[in-house]
Amino acid sequence: MNAKDYYTEHRRLVLGVFSVIFLVAAWELLLTYVFPVNPFFFTKPSLIAEAFKEQVQGAKLWHDLAISSRAFLWGFSFAVIVGIPVGLVMGWRRRVEYALDPFLTAMYASPLVALAPLLIIVFGVGVLGKAALVFLLSVFPFVFNVFAGVKSTDALLINVIRSFGGTEKDLYFKVILPSTMPYLIAGARLAIGRGLVGIIVGEFYAASEGIGFAISQAGDTYRLPDMFVGIIILSVIAVVLTEAMRRLELTVAPWRAGEEVR
Amino acid sequence: MLPFIRAHDITLVFQSKNRDPVTAINHLNLEIANGEFVSIVGPSGCGKSTFLNMLLGLLRPDSGELQMDGRTITGPGQERAMVFQEFGLLPWRTVTANVELGLELKGIAAGKRTKRAMELIRLVGLEGFERHYPHELSGGMKQRVGLARALATEPEVLLMDEPFAALDAQTRDLMQSELLQIWERTRKTVLFVTHSIEEAAYLSDRVIVMTARPGRTKETLKIQLPRPRDYEMRLTPEFNEIKSRIWEVLKEELMPGSRR
Repeated sequence: MNAKDYYTEHRRLVLGVFSVIFLVAAWELLLTYVFPVNPFFFTKPSLIAEAFKEQVQGAKLWHDLAISSRAFLWGFSFAVIVGIPVGLVMGWRRRVEYALDPFLTAMYASPLVALAPLLIIVFGVGVLGKAALVFLLSVFPFVFNVFAGVKSTDALLINVIRSFGGTEKDLYFKVILPSTMPYLIAGARLAIGRGLVGIIVGEFYAASEGIGFAISQAGDTYRLPDMFVGIIILSVIAVVLTEAMRRLELTVAPWRAGEEVR
Repeated sequence: MLPFIRAHDITLVFQSKNRDPVTAINHLNLEIANGEFVSIVGPSGCGKSTFLNMLLGLLRPDSGELQMDGRTITGPGQERAMVFQEFGLLPWRTVTANVELGLELKGIAAGKRTKRAMELIRLVGLEGFERHYPHELSGGMKQRVGLARALATEPEVLLMDEPFAALDAQTRDLMQSELLQIWERTRKTVLFVTHSIEEAAYLSDRVIVMTARPGRTKETLKIQLPRPRDYEMRLTPEFNEIKSRIWEVLKEELMPGSRR
């Protein structure tokens, strides 16, 4: 296969990689030759790479990541455990929907990070406070997406189950939940993004360790390359997690491969 | 002899919040014998499908009596199964798992229901597609799955709600012939709702013509064609004669104002 064929087949990948390389190179060159600003105020890829190498070899980065992950996992797990059942019942039971709707709509629309100070006061500056913030931010995408999924469940399939004498439990487990899966995963993708915001805000606000704390501390002390290391690691984590969700969606809902839910 | 299925003076009114109540079915009477293949034709919205849903047990009549084998129908039951117009397959299940659905809901053990599903997959001619998902199948194949699923629970009555309406003309002809073959073998009681006079005439022992809404039975026509039937019969003058008789009855219901 010659280069041209390779390009036609992998156009998406090739163009994506090239644009990243181009951007990084342009950044480096601009800051080296065109605007050689004081490294105190801005930084460039070569310095970030150096800082990255240093941090990966040290212990602090891994410790910070472990701390942040712990809070994220706790908060996110509770969001899954609470959000999915609430969304299911809300979508299936009209009365529950009407009762919870005003409350949930307000919570979903508001910038809940504003509650960070309150949560930190109530739950403390440790893992618990941050986990609470992650939970609060990531639970609503689950509730609303699962709710929308239940609402969009094909009434015909409900009738099919009923016609074979299926019970309420059968309806949940054999139709409603599986047909809600793609929505649930789309919700999880949103929730990951919001949960990461929760971690970072929590650690910016009050913490003595964690990746958010590391970023904020690096900023406070004008260590811009170190700051970028944290930012880049975060975005890599976000991309990996959301991409994993996309793959998962194709696995659990192959029939929707063509009509992706966003 | 008692009729196998008996609908006596059935009325059903749909209530809705913002509009006047709609009488879907009005004093409908109907009797079907065991093992009979009966089609119902009628104008759109005459309550044919609604009536099938009542027989299936998903809807209850507001008044009148609906009985099967001498017992009043109060809800879904394993002696009745439906083949749906839009197939109603679960997209996340393979062909086999879809066919097994009814057995699974009845609590049949996994090994036994897979064996039974395999038999039915063979019966409807879907060998080799056991592990396919519905989105990988054509419309005709999907309805084969729908038919296999309905037959899997060994119902005494097969309710078919315009099962071939979503298929193209050729697939439809093919499915009709195969349905007849399967019916010859199983001799279930079939209640078949359709818009197609030709389909009704070709398949049925009797064709029931319903009135426009609110629906009730207008006339019942016996189809005196020998069985087993084959496609060539549809080309005979007798068949055309039968079709035009059904058409004569149905026509009056399709022309607006003709009944008033």
